[in-house]
Amino acid sequence: MVRTRTAVTVAFASVSAVLIGWQFGATTLAPSATPSAAASSSAERTITGSSVDTPYGSVQVAITVSGKSISEVSAVHLTDQGGRSVQISNYAAPILRGEVLQSQTAKVNMVSGATYTSEAYLSSLQSALDQLGG
Amino acid sequence: MRFTFSTMGTVVSTQWQQSQPMTSTESLISAEVEKVFADFNLTFSLYLEDSELSRIARGALKLEDSSEQMRSVYAQALEWRSATLGAFTPHRRDGVIDLNGIVKALAIERSGTVFEEAGVDNWSVNAGGDVLCGTSTRGHTVGIVDPADRQRLLCAVTLGTGRRAMATSGNAERGDHIWALTPSAVGVFAQVTVMATDIVTADVLATAIVAGGPETLDDVTSRWDVDVLTIDSAGSFRATPGFQGALERSDHSDVG
Repeated sequence: MVRTRTAVTVAFASVSAVLIGWQFGATTLAPSATPSAAASSSAERTITGSSVDTPYGSVQVAITVSGKSISEVSAVHLTDQGGRSVQISNYAAPILRGEVLQSQTAKVNMVSGATYTSEAYLSSLQSALDQLGG
Repeated sequence: MRFTFSTMGTVVSTQWQQSQPMTSTESLISAEVEKVFADFNLTFSLYLEDSELSRIARGALKLEDSSEQMRSVYAQALEWRSATLGAFTPHRRDGVIDLNGIVKALAIERSGTVFEEAGVDNWSVNAGGDVLCGTSTRGHTVGIVDPADRQRLLCAVTLGTGRRAMATSGNAERGDHIWALTPSAVGVFAQVTVMATDIVTADVLATAIVAGGPETLDDVTSRWDVDVLTIDSAGSFRATPGFQGALERSDHSDVG
């Protein structure tokens, strides 16, 4: 069981490696990539790379290019050693603190936090909400 | 209508709106929800000496002689242990069966059926920081507490279809049922919030990620349809794309 998880972790690491290699190789290996035009803007296009077999499974990525810069990289297909598809699209990525701390003044119906004791509830935000009613 | 009561060592807050025609009265609904939690507590509390689980813990009752509900909940907890590769466990370090990590969520889920059957609108239940809202509840906004300052909210997100449940786990107040799975997982995450379709999945997986650390986080987000927000002990955040999307939408919420 532990081994499976290690394989998945390594597979993630290998994606980065493949991406770096792919980016460097993009200009010379262009024929192996299949450009699929983005309808919205001629300056923005999505390019899907070919599937690459790694010791940890097959990996395929797509990049979206806006002008001269890559605006998005996404995994089209990724499997781990056991042949299981890995949903890298749901990966929990680092997010800036400022992006999270944006809605402290929002009106809320309930408050979620680590379990509080009955005593701690009395001084909690949830308690304040309950007393305000509504 | 808001109704709160103390149970399972914490406080349950409920909220709903009466619809027409009424199939039940406010006091009947309140009493029934309170009884749901009381019944689970009487059976599964390790703080009550005469609960069924306490009798099992001290060897006065054999597991095979216990009630069908006890064995069913224990089996469910063991399935979660397998599914999370051991990150969630129904056993204390001393071997005692502790179902605290799943029973509260089961009680929340059961109380939800009380509200659904009563036909009330916009209901939600919050038991000790874990929230479930109704199938028809719309625009229900939940604030997430800052583990560093519990009088502040980090953010607010909106629950809804497909994301009716939110559970938060951490070591800020009562991490008594969470053990680190591996040495590398110790204290990585100060707080983990999981949004899911159901409250048992949300609660179990939030607990599992706190116990299992980053490895379990990656495993959970790859195998379950959930959204996750984590805060590590240095105060840095990680979030799934769906969670980031929910954060953005909360800016435009007009719910009061």
